[in-house]
Amino acid sequence: MRRSTILWFMIATCLGVALFMLKHEVQRREEQLVDLHRQILASQEAIHVLEAEWSYLNRPDRLESLVRRHLDMVPLDVKRLGSIEFLPMRLTPTDPATDPALPLDLAPTLAGLPPLPVGRPIVLTREASR
Amino acid sequence: MKSRAETVKLEGQAKQAIETGRNRLILAGCLVGLAFTAVGARVVELSALRNQDEPSARASLADTELAVGRADIVDRNGLLVATSLRTPSLYADPKEVLDAEDAAFRLATALPDMNPAETAAKLNSDRRFVWLKRSLTPREQQQVNSLGIPGVHFLDEWKRIYPQGSLTAHAVGFTDVDDRGIAGVERSFDDVLRGGREPLRLSIDLRVQHVVREELARQIATFGAIGGTGVVLDVDTGETIAMVSLPDFDPNVAGQMDPDSRFNRATLGVYEMGSTFKIFNTAMALDAGTVTMRGGYDATNPIRIARFTISDYHGKGRWLSVPEIFKYSSNIGSVKMAIDVGTEGQRDFLTRLGMLRETTIELPERGRPMIPSPWRPINTMTISFGHGLSISPMHLASGVAAIVNGGIRRPVTLLETDVPSPGERVVSERTSRDMRRLMRLVVEDGTGSKADSLGYIVGGKTGTAEKVGSGGGYKRKALMSSFVAAFPMHDPRYVVLVMVDEPKGTKETHGYATGGWVAAPAISRIVARAAPLLGVAPVDPKSPEIRRDLMIEMPAEGGKRLASF
Repeated sequence: MRRSTILWFMIATCLGVALFMLKHEVQRREEQLVDLHRQILASQEAIHVLEAEWSYLNRPDRLESLVRRHLDMVPLDVKRLGSIEFLPMRLTPTDPATDPALPLDLAPTLAGLPPLPVGRPIVLTREASR
Repeated sequence: MKSRAETVKLEGQAKQAIETGRNRLILAGCLVGLAFTAVGARVVELSALRNQDEPSARASLADTELAVGRADIVDRNGLLVATSLRTPSLYADPKEVLDAEDAAFRLATALPDMNPAETAAKLNSDRRFVWLKRSLTPREQQQVNSLGIPGVHFLDEWKRIYPQGSLTAHAVGFTDVDDRGIAGVERSFDDVLRGGREPLRLSIDLRVQHVVREELARQIATFGAIGGTGVVLDVDTGETIAMVSLPDFDPNVAGQMDPDSRFNRATLGVYEMGSTFKIFNTAMALDAGTVTMRGGYDATNPIRIARFTISDYHGKGRWLSVPEIFKYSSNIGSVKMAIDVGTEGQRDFLTRLGMLRETTIELPERGRPMIPSPWRPINTMTISFGHGLSISPMHLASGVAAIVNGGIRRPVTLLETDVPSPGERVVSERTSRDMRRLMRLVVEDGTGSKADSLGYIVGGKTGTAEKVGSGGGYKRKALMSSFVAAFPMHDPRYVVLVMVDEPKGTKETHGYATGGWVAAPAISRIVARAAPLLGVAPVDPKSPEIRRDLMIEMPAEGGKRLASF
């Protein structure tokens, strides 16, 4: 009778202490959470302001004047634009069937090559540009 | 039970009293027990069964999204054009202010643009709340704070900021001091912007917008013009890639603007377009089948009707084929083409093309076309070369887009669209192809040669209209010089319109201020600068495919044919 009373009393005390500590832990975590949320909001607002500033600094007229002042860039000339087709044609290796001494993956050497290919004119259709 | 036996037995009154006490005790016990049960049940319910009704710290702050006053507006590449920033505003509670004159004087030292006398009057008023200054900078706030005047407070407010300044002034518009949109997209999408968090994505491309604005400003400065407008449209979707109206204003300080600069010439202004309208006239005649590309009209003699005489600016005094009528911009030929189609046919065609109603662009500033009423044969004749019907530049650009894109009219829009509207057919595929050839002819070998841009196959039409004077009648010296172009002409993707208001001829242009001299060079430079940004690849204009696509057979009167490329 006495023993069980003491046991129950101890269990109740332990539970009480545990509950008390748990409650405080939850409270502490919630405060932490509130604090984190506040920080997130502050960061988001800072990002928002920075985005506006970034956009302000990226105005096309400002970029243009900066480029004029500091870089040696010139407006894009049509003649500088080309396409893959404008490059010289790829060199075709000698047919390995007729020349077994030449492995397939070996790049052809300069000796004994067909005459250098010439570039084809640009023909760019809308499909090719997309 | 032993103890019970030993107790004194009570009888009578005493026993009754004990009985009563016992009953009361049971009753009280039951009540207390019930109350405890209720409390216990409530505890279980609150802690275990439902916890969403009780606000916990977590629930109340789960919303960590920054709530801005108004959604952002971005261009098609996601660059900000309008955003809201939190700024402090200064207000005062006059009841708390001890010495109004002293406070006003000290405030003026921190905020030099405030008038001490006015401020003192505000601080002496009977109200409990007066605004002193809206939207302070952080530095100003710091200075006012350090003055330590009692009764002066700050209130955070959302202020609309336009990082791009005047670049998109007319398209985006601006808001008033209470964050209500009062012009442009800010007004037409006021509800969406106020409620939403997702940024509103415009179809405008800021880079192209900048190119158009700069080139337009250059032409205006060169020719001493009073204003101008430039528009770039995507012909396949109806999206507005650029829309500039000059003079413009800075929406960040919208209060200080000149009322003239607020006027949106691109969508609100309606003008008689002059010869650019011949694109529609020629397309109408070709589509109706009253004339073919091989046909033509005698343009020897001016047309006299009522008290008017219609003659040609570049008169040839002979029979002209349809390509020649277009190339030389012959008024006589155009009138004869329109007469053959008839008044009804012309009105139907222009209705289908959307020229008789406001455009669909999402702006409150939309001009209503000025339509002749009644529509007499004389109106049919003048409209054929662009007089007697006033439309906005946006109308013209969208109409040309419909003519060159294969004949499908799509509503113009300022919002980026993933799925373009199916649109409706206004002219046949064949007419569209013929019109592309004719427009290329004008640039290759006609009045618009200055609009060409190497590799981009520009085609278009010049227009020079005399403005209507205040007393009616036309002013010879006040011109509207325009050029409407599309590129690349063998497969058009964009329409570019440039219009300059009241240009004056210079020595370099031999005194001419016509569309071919004023607007065409701007088109050429806009195309050259914008095409790489828009992903249009240059092509060789001499390649056989393109020559075949754009070739025109020039019929002569006797049936002899000359090929022109």
